[in-house]
Amino acid sequence: MDSASLLCLLNEDLLIRILSFLTYDSDRKAFRLVCKAFHRVDSLHRTHLQILRPEFITTLLSKFPNIYSLDLSICPQIDDSAVSILLTVGCDWSRRLKRLVLSRCTGLRSAGLELLVKSCPFLESIDVSYCWDFGDREAAALSICGGSLRDLKMDRCLGVTDVGLAKIAIGCQCLEILSLKWCLEITDLGIDLLSKKCTQLKHLDISYLKVTSGSLRSISSMEKLEFLAMVGCGVVDDEGLHYLGNGCPSLQALDVSRCDRLSSSALAFLIKGHPSMLQIHASYSFSEFPTKVIQGLKDLKNLKTLILDGAPVSESFFKIINFSCKYLVEIGLGKCKGVTDLGIFQLVSGGVNLKVLNLTCCSDLTDNAISAITDSCRSVLCLKLECCNSLTEKSLYRLGLHCSLLEELDLTDCVGVSDTGLHYLSKCTKLVCLKLGLCTNITDKGLYYISRNCREIRELDLYRCKGIGDNGLYALSSGCKRMQKLNLSYCSEVTDKGIEYLGYLPELYNLEMRCLWNVTGTGLTALATGCKRLAELDVKDCAYIDDSGFMALAYYSRNLQQINLSHCAISDVGLCMVMGNLTRLQDAKLVNLFNVSTNGLEVALRACCVRLKKIKVVASLRLHLTPDIVETLSARGCRIRWD
Amino acid sequence: MAEASSSITEKFFLTLKSSDGDEFVLEESIAIQSITIKNMVEDGCSSSVIPLSKVDTETLIKVIEYMKMHSSTSSNEEEIENFDKKFVSNSINTILNILEAANFLDINNLLELCAEAVANRIKNKTPEAVRKIFNITSDFTPEEEAEIRNETPWAFEGNLDHSLD
Repeated sequence: MDSASLLCLLNEDLLIRILSFLTYDSDRKAFRLVCKAFHRVDSLHRTHLQILRPEFITTLLSKFPNIYSLDLSICPQIDDSAVSILLTVGCDWSRRLKRLVLSRCTGLRSAGLELLVKSCPFLESIDVSYCWDFGDREAAALSICGGSLRDLKMDRCLGVTDVGLAKIAIGCQCLEILSLKWCLEITDLGIDLLSKKCTQLKHLDISYLKVTSGSLRSISSMEKLEFLAMVGCGVVDDEGLHYLGNGCPSLQALDVSRCDRLSSSALAFLIKGHPSMLQIHASYSFSEFPTKVIQGLKDLKNLKTLILDGAPVSESFFKIINFSCKYLVEIGLGKCKGVTDLGIFQLVSGGVNLKVLNLTCCSDLTDNAISAITDSCRSVLCLKLECCNSLTEKSLYRLGLHCSLLEELDLTDCVGVSDTGLHYLSKCTKLVCLKLGLCTNITDKGLYYISRNCREIRELDLYRCKGIGDNGLYALSSGCKRMQKLNLSYCSEVTDKGIEYLGYLPELYNLEMRCLWNVTGTGLTALATGCKRLAELDVKDCAYIDDSGFMALAYYSRNLQQINLSHCAISDVGLCMVMGNLTRLQDAKLVNLFNVSTNGLEVALRACCVRLKKIKVVASLRLHLTPDIVETLSARGCRIRWD
Repeated sequence: MAEASSSITEKFFLTLKSSDGDEFVLEESIAIQSITIKNMVEDGCSSSVIPLSKVDTETLIKVIEYMKMHSSTSSNEEEIENFDKKFVSNSINTILNILEAANFLDINNLLELCAEAVANRIKNKTPEAVRKIFNITSDFTPEEEAEIRNETPWAFEGNLDHSLD
């Protein structure tokens, strides 16, 4: 078939359909580079942009005509003046937007936000979470979005009070999704008004608010509410769950984790009122689970997710779940007392098709429990077995044999994991995330098996795997080309050579390599020149990296967003170069830099104070840094943590 | 439709004609998985032979195999799954032909299956390899190609398609 006829076959519609199955950026990029027709289709198909530098907004938006979702959360320097400049450069781009992510844009104030919101008349979704300085003025600016706004996230907007929430509730009455997590000033009064005005709400998060059961009485009148999260609402008591049990006719999912004053019998009452619930999260809330409550679980015929981390469970619990919850997909039993082999056997027997199991710290479990899981749950996707100390390579053999779909596996601190075990496990070729921290018995050989077969791995944790050295990293860098997140902290055998190999991982985004004393400036230089995407780097305690490495970092790692340089041998000049040159750096941990003078630190901070969002320095510096720099940083929305 | 035909205990048959002129007789209840054919039946255009000028014989055989497997009441989920797995292991040219036929015949499941199969062949590949697979030569100038190669790390990254729906 020649190229012309093939492109005839693949009209634009079909190419778009194919493209919609390519979810990874690297695949999309390869697709774009094939030919002009493919490139055009990709440009048309793209609806979302996450921009690293604000000056690109207008050119990018003209290249991609169908963008309606814009993410500025990792742009440094988004402040009121930047917003007004962007809006004068071209005013059309903002009218296209339906979704805007301003999370962590801590430099923005109410005037800039108001200007932005007014220029985006069709916004349906806005995220201002972690803009910790935001208060009622910013809430008032957001309320200008009006009736078109469906989805608002304002987690940790610490200054917002009932007054701000009232503005939003009155202004944006068509809200369907609202997250108020950590907005600590909001009280029952605000929630009451919200429940009366925003009657379309389907999804509400009030986690960590200091509200009482009175708020739940108000919420119980919300006819359309499907999802309610109230993690860590320590003041709410059983009365609150009784209100919910009698109200909220549409409720499908509830998160009451870490609510200290709730008893499990109140949960049972709620279940009686809502037998068709799909999800229940109740981690670390209940210290007891009496039989009467467990009997109540029988009603939950449609339940898909049950998370009970930290609760005590019994044999009858497993029997009832197995008997009643036929559609259960996910179960969380981390740190639960009473999880035994027999219990797991009863849970999964008879073809229950669990896909996600969290069995963290269930240290009574043996290989028999894993056998039961692998026999019944062939399509398991995620398995968390951290600290299951009795497991041996037999478990990994069963997983490799039966669970070919497994994507995520946590074996942290499982002493039974060996090279042979990893050989068996490497049959799970779809693994995306593998955690092997503290598995002290594995060596380069085991890593070689994994690297050769599990080529989809994007996240690997080798924290304190003392048997891992340069040869293992060689295997890794040639096999797992998609690696994005890697933890090598305290793998003390690793030298410059090993770190050089990592330079061949083009997608590496996050690297933790604390306390590698065999790594010098040479290794860091090779890493910086190779890994262009590196955004988060932790070299704490790498005491033998000298300025040559940090200079290379300052020159090549232009995408770096977060760095931990604590206890490093960097000098005044090196620090100034890193902080001044890396224009995307937003978060820096600079504790105990023994070669840096107070004056040097001051100069370095001045070089980047407009971009920083978070820094950590030694507490004693509070007396030595000039008040001027401290004030400038705070005024720009930068948080200083005095260690 | 299926109920109606079973209630009078008589099966209706349709004749499909490929672009090569070959004719295939197929139960109506199976054939109407294709929305295009279903519309023709409902408009009363199906009394004689239905000509499918855009689908060659080889492709039509595959499409009919697929429709039979996916309509048959006797085949269970596992059988269908295994069939689909084998189906997508056809050569890329065959898959592309089926993809186009599925588009023309408007069989959504088949369309999705083939589009995903094509996408899976592209995954993890360099642009050069993708060109080889599709037998395409690049029409970019070296400068244009360099520009696209360089754009990503500076401009955007992360997950792409966060649709609102």
